[in-house]
Amino acid sequence: MADDYLIEVDDCIKRYGGVVALKGVSLRVRKGSVHGLLGENGAGKSTLVKIIAGIVQATSGTMRFNGEEIVDADVKAMEEKGVFLVTQEPMIVEPMTVADNLMLGRWPARSGFVRDRHMMALATSFLEEANLDPRRLASTLSVVEKRKLNILRALHSGGKLIILDEPTTALTMADKHQLFTFMKQLRAQSVSFLFISHYNEEILEICDEVSVLRDGQMIGQGQVVSHLDSSALSEMVIGRDVHLFKRVTDEAKGDVVWTLRDVRASGLSVDRLDIRKGEIIGFAGLPGSGAKELGRAIYGLMPSARGFLDESGVAHALPRDPAEALRTGIAFLSEDRLRDGIIAIQSIAENMTLSSLPAVSRFGWVSRSAERQLVEKFWRLFAVKAASHAAPLGSLSGGNQQKVLLSRLVATEPRLVILNEPTRGIDVGVKEEVHRLVDDLSHRGVSVIIITSDIEEMLRIVDRVALFVDGRISAIEPAHGLTKEDVFEMAYSASDRSVSASHQPLH
Amino acid sequence: MNTKTSVMPTVAVAPGAVAKNAGASPSVQLLLKYVVWIWLVGLVIVFGLLNKFFFTTSNLQNILTQATVLGLLGLAASLPLLVGEIDLSIAGNMGISSAIGALAILQLHMPTFLGVIVGVGAATLIGFFNGLCITRLRMVSLIETLGMMIILQGGLLAITQGATITDFTDAYTWVGQTTVGGWPVMPLVLFVGFIGMAVLLRRTVFGRKLYATGGNAAAAHVAGIRVNKVKIVAFTLSGFIAGIAGYFLASWQMAITSDQGEGFLLYSIAAPIIGGVSVFGGRGDTWGILGGVLLLTVIHVGLAVVNVPSFYVDMIGGFLIFIAVAVDAIRVGMGGTR
Ligand SMILES: Nc1ncnc2c1ncn2[C@@H]1O[C@H](COP(=O)(O)OP(=O)(O)OP(=O)(O)O)[C@@H](O)[C@H]1O
Ligand SMILES: [Mg+2]
Repeated sequence: MADDYLIEVDDCIKRYGGVVALKGVSLRVRKGSVHGLLGENGAGKSTLVKIIAGIVQATSGTMRFNGEEIVDADVKAMEEKGVFLVTQEPMIVEPMTVADNLMLGRWPARSGFVRDRHMMALATSFLEEANLDPRRLASTLSVVEKRKLNILRALHSGGKLIILDEPTTALTMADKHQLFTFMKQLRAQSVSFLFISHYNEEILEICDEVSVLRDGQMIGQGQVVSHLDSSALSEMVIGRDVHLFKRVTDEAKGDVVWTLRDVRASGLSVDRLDIRKGEIIGFAGLPGSGAKELGRAIYGLMPSARGFLDESGVAHALPRDPAEALRTGIAFLSEDRLRDGIIAIQSIAENMTLSSLPAVSRFGWVSRSAERQLVEKFWRLFAVKAASHAAPLGSLSGGNQQKVLLSRLVATEPRLVILNEPTRGIDVGVKEEVHRLVDDLSHRGVSVIIITSDIEEMLRIVDRVALFVDGRISAIEPAHGLTKEDVFEMAYSASDRSVSASHQPLH
Repeated sequence: MNTKTSVMPTVAVAPGAVAKNAGASPSVQLLLKYVVWIWLVGLVIVFGLLNKFFFTTSNLQNILTQATVLGLLGLAASLPLLVGEIDLSIAGNMGISSAIGALAILQLHMPTFLGVIVGVGAATLIGFFNGLCITRLRMVSLIETLGMMIILQGGLLAITQGATITDFTDAYTWVGQTTVGGWPVMPLVLFVGFIGMAVLLRRTVFGRKLYATGGNAAAAHVAGIRVNKVKIVAFTLSGFIAGIAGYFLASWQMAITSDQGEGFLLYSIAAPIIGGVSVFGGRGDTWGILGGVLLLTVIHVGLAVVNVPSFYVDMIGGFLIFIAVAVDAIRVGMGGTR
């Protein structure tokens, strides 16, 4: 029956100049259901949901909301109908309070003056269950809290369809769980969700139905999730089952090449860590435990950090800045692409060669042919999908942006690589490619540090796991034989121990 | 109120801007990219129809000569803009540095070429100092250079004691006055300057670093670019070019007034922006800057040539600039890149 559907999109086409992002797509989302949207990088998922939310206009096609035909609606019009898009980056005005953000643009006002006290009262009653203090400054919120606030804003404004574009990136397991519980509560109140993710297990856990886009076309529309499993999902997404990569740990290990000594910074205290040539080591730990911080310190992104990073027995102080780190043969992948990864307005080629300018230039002059060669090499290696080398990087899909950043990093021919959330926003197929590439790097003698909140992924590709608790390395274990649960237990129990230890009265 | 877009600036500015773009077809985009040139040609035709004199060789020479100083200043203004900063002190720098050079020649009896070097050197140092303040001391460039502008303007008034410096040596005024085969040599400097800038921006490693720094300073830093150094060099080079412009202005006018250069400030910043240089950094190219400079000069000269009463010149000129910027804004909205 037609009125079971909250939103119905038909024959939707979207052109970006010469690129056809959507080639006649149809989508139906039932009332009170969580509808998954899957697809490779660049398949058109974000484009489709932006059209539904009124952020971009379709080139052609029809759309109905609650059975009513929608024509030329913009964001505001769609929000009034109850459609809200929560983008991957939470949209929050940081210097304002939680209450301000909750009612952003719809503040209760009388003749132009915001009725502050009234607003606080409203917000307090609304946020009671959500466990958020309306008076808090939004800038003090964590990533989940911000995302939650975005969802709450949608609800508060009468949201009936909430679209979440890759909402789980950067969330820890606990955060994710919290988010899903929240979604399930809302579903029970007959709110619908359109949920984009690259993680099969998330789709299987939270979604009722799933649709799959491939190359701008709908491959499977409204498939019932309870009939599917992970490999069936992968097969729909990339046309074949993914063979999960598993690193074969080399027993005859290389020599220790890198030695971290006496690293000290605020909230970080690591006495010693040896990393072998061609070894892949994972840094695991709860947020703030020091895993990310140590990665940044090694790359010179924590100027206040003191300590040594010896290479082959030669003592070196930690690099002062990234430029020095790169010269020492260290490369780094940022966890936050948009913030300090890509230069969106610049071309793919310029972005790719940015860290290896010395290699493509002579006496300060950029050699065009050297540059073209380098770009073409990585373009092929990573199978970048884009119109041309000159396309602005910001116009690529998230996964393709990540490929360009990885190219930038590998192009520097590093000897030690620090990868922060390397597969963030990457589709299942490319994820395995990235794993293979990292494995490949290690076989060529590059030492690799991987920092990721996806512990399952980490365990498949690293040799050893260093577990961080309260700024220290509390354990280093071979990955072989470890399970996700082991790692969590270690992280939590160790932090519990140290918490209770810190409560001990001083003698 | 459109709440979604009003929240965007936190992170998604750049991708958002790109997202809007791609609607226009490539040929339309190319057209939009050089809209300043279309606008320029249109105005030249209109002025020419209003007064035949506008198309004469001597008027062309006049325009190119006038465009030289503004052109150099436009280049000087562009460098800080490209790295996402702004320098309001370049016009003041131009005035005071030329006075320092001239006084070194006239009062300290330095040889002319040495005096010119002293003047340009002073300008370069001022630029370097601005760069230091903005990077090392993290001063906001808009305010820091505003303060510097006032200091430099006051300084010029102080060292000239309100008088106009004249009586230059012949060697000093040679560049501004000489003609070869009836053609002034000044415009040559304009072309050398623009070709040099084009090469710097497009072909050198430093050019890449400038665009990267302006495009996303945090990302450039992580990619191993010493962002502060790039900014300091940009400001220093900007000061150097302002110094050269100062010498040419003085040599051409054969005078340094106690408010030398002040009238250039707004035009020198407007020219690159009209030509597509973004105030947010990372966007803009030499063709655009040249187009902006010529457009402003043509407006200026054209209004004089068609005998617009002087009371109206500023107002009409302002209107024309306003329209040019509006057209440019539409261009950016519809998908021009740099
Ligand atoms: N503003 C734009 N300009 C030009 N092309 C664009 C633009 N936005 C998207 N595209 C293109 O449209 C296609 C679909 O992009 P979209 O962002 O919808 O993919 P996606 O499925 O969300 O991918 P990902 O999983 O990587 O986020 C891609 O080929 C992309 O390059
Ligand atoms: Mg996407």
